[in-house]
Amino acid sequence: MQAGKIASLILVLLVTAVATLLRVFALWAWELDAAPATTRVWMFAAIVGAVSATVLIPMGGILDRSITKLRKQIENAATSSQPIILDGLSWLQPISRAFIGAVDQFQQRERALRNQLGDLEIRHRVSEAERRQVEAVLHALRDAVVVTDAFNEVVMANQTAAAVLGFDLKAALHKPIDDVIHDQALRQLIRDTRDTANFTDTRHVEQAVSGGKPADGGTSESRVFDITLSCVENHKHEVGGVVTILHDLTREREISQMKSDFVSKASHELRTPLSSIRAYVEMLVDGEATDEASRAECYRIMQNETERLGRLIDNMLNISRIEAGIVQIDRENVDMKGLVKRALHTLEPQAKEKKMALHTRLAAIDLCVEGDADMLYQVVLNLVSNGVKYTPEGGRVTIAADSDNLTRSVLVTVSDTGLGIPPDALPKLFDKFYRVENYKRVAKGTGLGLSLCKHIVETVHHGQIGVESKLGMGSKFWFSIPMRYAGSKAAA
Amino acid sequence: MMKFESQPDAASQSASPTSRQRILVVDDEAHIVQVLSLKLRNAGYDVLTAIDGEEGFELAVQHRPNLIITDFQMPYMTGLELCRELAANPETAGIPVVILTARGYALDPEDLTIGNIKNVLSKPFSPRAIMELIQRLLQSQPGAQAGNRSEVA
Repeated sequence: MQAGKIASLILVLLVTAVATLLRVFALWAWELDAAPATTRVWMFAAIVGAVSATVLIPMGGILDRSITKLRKQIENAATSSQPIILDGLSWLQPISRAFIGAVDQFQQRERALRNQLGDLEIRHRVSEAERRQVEAVLHALRDAVVVTDAFNEVVMANQTAAAVLGFDLKAALHKPIDDVIHDQALRQLIRDTRDTANFTDTRHVEQAVSGGKPADGGTSESRVFDITLSCVENHKHEVGGVVTILHDLTREREISQMKSDFVSKASHELRTPLSSIRAYVEMLVDGEATDEASRAECYRIMQNETERLGRLIDNMLNISRIEAGIVQIDRENVDMKGLVKRALHTLEPQAKEKKMALHTRLAAIDLCVEGDADMLYQVVLNLVSNGVKYTPEGGRVTIAADSDNLTRSVLVTVSDTGLGIPPDALPKLFDKFYRVENYKRVAKGTGLGLSLCKHIVETVHHGQIGVESKLGMGSKFWFSIPMRYAGSKAAA
Repeated sequence: MMKFESQPDAASQSASPTSRQRILVVDDEAHIVQVLSLKLRNAGYDVLTAIDGEEGFELAVQHRPNLIITDFQMPYMTGLELCRELAANPETAGIPVVILTARGYALDPEDLTIGNIKNVLSKPFSPRAIMELIQRLLQSQPGAQAGNRSEVA
């Protein structure tokens, strides 16, 4: 401000000095009458030029400084969000005021735009969240879902659809269905549904659909689906697209097949002892057993077969109770070594009859698990009894029990020197009613014992059961039970 | 095997005094084999027994029985496979066969046209009913005489 004032003062002084000088020169010039006219004009021009330069150069300097200052203030204003104050430049005020007005308007408009942007961002986030939710729902579905638009292009699809129909989920988006879905009949269904534009009814079709590209192998696997197709209406009440849902019926069919297999196997197993009982009863009624000894034999067979029937029914019920999760489980501390000894004691006579040796290798420490003592006893008894049954006379069955510190469980193994199990039978060994065909004659069984063992070990006690065997080299059955029962995972 | 297997003497002689016809019983269930043998021997038949299809086929070729009763589901060779084998062999093709099965509905009706299957009975069965069926089948069997003759020879 001081500088400004001094500059103004210098300016005034300069103007006064120049004016005085001009007057002096003018007087002097006019007095030079003797000089030619041109010389006088030139001299006048020179004087005016000199004077203008003397005045304009300092003025230009002042103007330049003012503009520089204004520019700096504007520049500062541009980077700060403060209201703009332009000061000390009274003679530039009209310009600065107009500028400030314009800047204010810009700022207002900017604020409005910012608000709009904020709204849009929120809306975008909401719709993004909704889209993710829809996608999450789609991906959580076990049914395959494909959503197509009015141009039969894929808008949305889930993982199941990608897996079942054999396409890449990311690559499929916004591609025509012809490039994505390999099954021609399914494409036609989607196209038909889109063209009928029926918004009120959904179509249900039961049809085999082949997945995967015909290129990889040529014979792509085809599964039967229950296909639901529905037309989606857009805001203009036109066809917006088609939602296609494919529900795989294979599993349901398998389950119903398993059920009917179970019923057929169960009835076969039940009929066998029942036919013996019925036949012997009739023989007795008809007086075919003529002497006391043969009658006694008939009674004995009937009794055995009745017991067999009872065992079969018990096993079937136990398995289905465990499967249904309604079995009564009495959890307590079970001494596994005690169980093994009990089972050996029970089977000792049978082993002796076959001149077989029963060996034990029990760890010296306590082997306690949390579980149902009766059920675990059944497992040990079953495995040892199998060992005795399927080992020829003079063989050996060894029962070992030890703790597995790594998995914090008790491991029981039953090894025999018996017939061994054919490799193709191993995977089916724990299946219900499965019996190694060629060993049916070796020993009697319901075909349910190992299946029950597996249920008791795995379902009830969260343990593991398995078998290792080589044909002719004996078998080794093992199971492990966690020492502490993981109560939170209780199935029943 | 059993004590009463050697029974069919005095009592059965009266039931079938003239021609002792031979019947083969094939079943992997020992009790079933036993009860059928007893019933048939009491009625005066000669009874051969086998515990699977393979053994059954060998006995059929060797002894050419007048009739075969076989279980359907057996290890090594099922009843149906046995029928196929019998039909393929000219010496045994004419022997009538009765199938016993614990799963009647699992049999394809087309399978029953194989060989000389006369009847399919489902378990549990009545030995009395089987006896009646066998007697009926053997009476109507034109080859019965031939069978008897070969037995005599």
